[in-house]
Amino acid sequence: MISVSNLAKRVPIADGELTILKGINLEIKSSETVAIVGASGSGKSTLLGLLAGLDNASEGAVEIDGTNLQALDEDGRAALRAEKVGFIFQSFQLLPALTALENVMLPLELKNISDAGSRAEEFLSRVGLEQRLTHYPRQLSGGEQQRVAIARAFAGQPSILFADEPTGNLDSKTGERIADLLFELNREQGTTLVLVTHDGALAQRCQRRFEMEAGLLEEHNSTAHAVAQIG
Amino acid sequence: MGLLLRMLLRDWRGGELSILLLALVLAVTMVSGISGFANALKDALRQESHSFLAADLAIRDARPLPSEWTELAQERGLNTAEILTFSSMTFSSDGAMVLSSVKAVSDAYPLRGFLRLSNSPFGELREAVGAPERGTVWLEPRLFALLAVEVGDLVEIGQASFTVAGAVRSEPDRAGGFLGVGPRVMLNADDIPATGVVQPGSRVSYRQLYAGDSALVAEFADELNTLLLPGQELQSVETSQPSVAQALERAERFLLLAGSLAVVLASIAVALASRRYAQRHQKHVALLKSLGSSSSRVRTLYAGSLALTWAAGLLLGWLAAWGLQSLALEAFAEQLTVKPSILAPRPYLVGAVTALVCVTCFAWPSLSRLATVSPLRVLRADLPVHAGREGRDYLIAVAAIGLLMFWYSADFELTSVVLAGLLSIALVGGVVAYLLLRGGREAGTQAGSIWRLALASLLRHGVGNALQLVVFAVAIMLLLLLALLRTSLLDGWQEQLPDDAPNHFILNLAPDEVEDVAALLDEASIRRESLYPMLRGRVVAVNDEPLPFEAEQDGPRQREANFTWSNELPPGNELVEGRWWGPAETDFVSIEAEFAENMGVKVGDQLQLRIGAAQLEAEVLSLRELDWESFKPNFFMVFPEDFLSDYPTTYMTSFYLPPDQKPLLNSLLKQHPTATVIEVDAIMEQLRSTLSQVSNAIELVLLLVLGAGALVLVAGVQSTTDIRMRESALLRALGARRNHLLGSVAIEFAALGAMAGLLAVVAGESAFWALQSFAFELEYQPTPALWPLVLLTAVGLITALGLWSCRRVVSVEPIRVLREL
Repeated sequence: MISVSNLAKRVPIADGELTILKGINLEIKSSETVAIVGASGSGKSTLLGLLAGLDNASEGAVEIDGTNLQALDEDGRAALRAEKVGFIFQSFQLLPALTALENVMLPLELKNISDAGSRAEEFLSRVGLEQRLTHYPRQLSGGEQQRVAIARAFAGQPSILFADEPTGNLDSKTGERIADLLFELNREQGTTLVLVTHDGALAQRCQRRFEMEAGLLEEHNSTAHAVAQIG
Repeated sequence: MGLLLRMLLRDWRGGELSILLLALVLAVTMVSGISGFANALKDALRQESHSFLAADLAIRDARPLPSEWTELAQERGLNTAEILTFSSMTFSSDGAMVLSSVKAVSDAYPLRGFLRLSNSPFGELREAVGAPERGTVWLEPRLFALLAVEVGDLVEIGQASFTVAGAVRSEPDRAGGFLGVGPRVMLNADDIPATGVVQPGSRVSYRQLYAGDSALVAEFADELNTLLLPGQELQSVETSQPSVAQALERAERFLLLAGSLAVVLASIAVALASRRYAQRHQKHVALLKSLGSSSSRVRTLYAGSLALTWAAGLLLGWLAAWGLQSLALEAFAEQLTVKPSILAPRPYLVGAVTALVCVTCFAWPSLSRLATVSPLRVLRADLPVHAGREGRDYLIAVAAIGLLMFWYSADFELTSVVLAGLLSIALVGGVVAYLLLRGGREAGTQAGSIWRLALASLLRHGVGNALQLVVFAVAIMLLLLLALLRTSLLDGWQEQLPDDAPNHFILNLAPDEVEDVAALLDEASIRRESLYPMLRGRVVAVNDEPLPFEAEQDGPRQREANFTWSNELPPGNELVEGRWWGPAETDFVSIEAEFAENMGVKVGDQLQLRIGAAQLEAEVLSLRELDWESFKPNFFMVFPEDFLSDYPTTYMTSFYLPPDQKPLLNSLLKQHPTATVIEVDAIMEQLRSTLSQVSNAIELVLLLVLGAGALVLVAGVQSTTDIRMRESALLRALGARRNHLLGSVAIEFAALGAMAGLLAVVAGESAFWALQSFAFELEYQPTPALWPLVLLTAVGLITALGLWSCRRVVSVEPIRVLREL
């Protein structure tokens, strides 16, 4: 479960401070799928960074399964990410010097999992890349690279998956296939999915949808568990 | 460990580590190779130069030397030999007699170098070691004429008679001084008692020679120093052969300097390569951290990776250094009589420590900063990396370079000059780069688009470019400096020892013989120096303060010296203090500066002198420096002609005799039987060959350092390649034409090359001046002819390297470049 209270992010600029996020409150239950939509520059990625503990908030708190991220240091947050968090990025973030298999093995190796190789292979087969294990990122298409990234994200069996514009760099057809794969694996694994996108169709596939605008967050469907507040 | 190894393997496969590893391998190769080679060569040359002493160490006394010292030396593992020299009449069976200089040697003589013998007076030379067989003697060629004897005839010395067994043409230890010169007779030391000429009170010079492992010799020298009595003189190559010692010392300094510069260049290459490696790994680290890796884990990973790279670089570097030394020494094998070892441990240790310092002080600061990369970079690649500690890194680097150079060269002066040069080039370079680049902005706005593109690019990466500029300038400056020093050293030696440098001395000419001898030499078109009057004299007191006969240590004492007169400052002499006398001034003397210092004499002091029984007094009017490396007559004490012209004097000169005119010596000596001819041609040949070996060594080392310089240039160009590639790929994607981009890259690097060349010329010339004046004590001459050449080479080389490293921009689809970076 993710719980956010009164979260704000401000950055210093030449003549003062720029507020990127202000007073955000949010609760995401285990296994929920959540979309955060908004225009470019609205602060979606900043929020994602804070939720995943990649960045420090100026104010407020983010809790993951009861642990306050602000109370942890950088290494503590890293340990938490290693245990619970997976990522999928718009620009795939595969390491060019590693093969597809090695890229997927990386988070498993960091956790000292002994059968990293076979597990990575298994997940690459799940995303349909069993023939491309030894290929380098530059030898793969954009869609294939994102499938490697999905395999890498799920291979670590995280309880929460953060996806930053996962189809943003892909054509609509490939994007759709990638989205299918993402939601299928997510269902199977029972992962909590937090997805940042400006693709309305993709957002529609999530159980809950929030919109970010000028640093403020608003939940779009007015169903029972809407707790987002503006303030 | 598994992850670490896999990461390393992947980095290596991906080419990420290759430059860092190559830089480390080169650092070790350079340092171990040059240091090993220089040490081995130094040892070999030193041993060769010891042949000028016929030993590594000798001790001389006018009294018999204790035989315990010989035994002690042998116990210490050294070889020993003994020599007695004295003057004695040699008689032929026909009753002819000549006062000759007898040298009795033990069987092991000479311990270093060779005797050159021939079967007839000027016959074919052969090299030999050992004393004449008992009952036989070797005579100097002119004695054959003076005594009218041939090989196989009998001669008598004291109460013993000897068979003439051959001619002795040169002795390794006969180059220094002209004291007690008479034609040489060499015999076996065991025959001395039979002659009965050495009695208590006889004027005999006793010498013990020692040779062996250099460390053992040094230890033994220290031991002997504590046992020496007044009057006993310890001789080494430095004291007996200043010219050889000076040449060797300069060569050694050059090699040390070259080695130190190689260390600096390799360190810069390592620093640049690590910086680039770290830059390329920021994304990697951000990803690792987003996947849950802690900072300490990242630090451990990169520390481990660096340690393994160090080990690999060290092993490969050692291997390469070993190969290099073998190759280099193979090239010198023919010229070296001593085979140096290529497995001495110190050079390899020096390499290991250098690599360790490179890794910890030059590579680690960049890599350790990776641990501070924010994981947020996976979402925002434009986040800056913490760079607050760069100043501290530069300080550490400069301190490390200084310590490394000092440890390596053990020469504070050399280290300071080079370090000061580096710091000033960095400082001045930074400021000049900033100003030039800022000036370029104004010019750029008025230039055509290709120029504008290039200048905009130069300005955009101002800091990176300034750093690159300084690196280029430092590399070019160091290479220029080394090339200038090499040329100056080599030319200096060539000038001092031209092919027609005097190779014979003639002494003991009576005043009435001078004209004849001059005419004889001139007729045969023999190049000769002026004829100098020479007489033996003694300084007995300074300012009426008598000098002791024997001194404690090196203190002032009475010394015999060769006096000469001259109304002009002799050629090759330089006044360092005081003035030369005018036509009417008489009671003055000009003294060689070091000789004066040893006697504690200054300009203005009154010297009390003795020539034979006559007492004289003269005031010190000037001090001179002599060029001991020339083979021209040199005198410690020079007087005005009127001061000495009343005393009986002989004359001397030196001349160059080509080998095919050797027989001229026979007729010269027949006409002037009392004259003494000293043949130094063999010794000069030896000196020439020593210097040519040193020259070759210097050329080779220069070539190696050039390699290090090239690596720095490549690493420097590569340090900004990624960013240039990305921008060029973008521009290409936006429709820029291939030639346009290449032109812009070429202009950018040409501009950097020109600025670097300019800086390098200024800094290189200044450092050259400083080193020439303070470290090498050679005359500085500016080299303006080289400046445009250096500038053009810098522009050409850096442009070519820049184009080469950015060539992928135009050969690969822009999308691939953009994706990979």
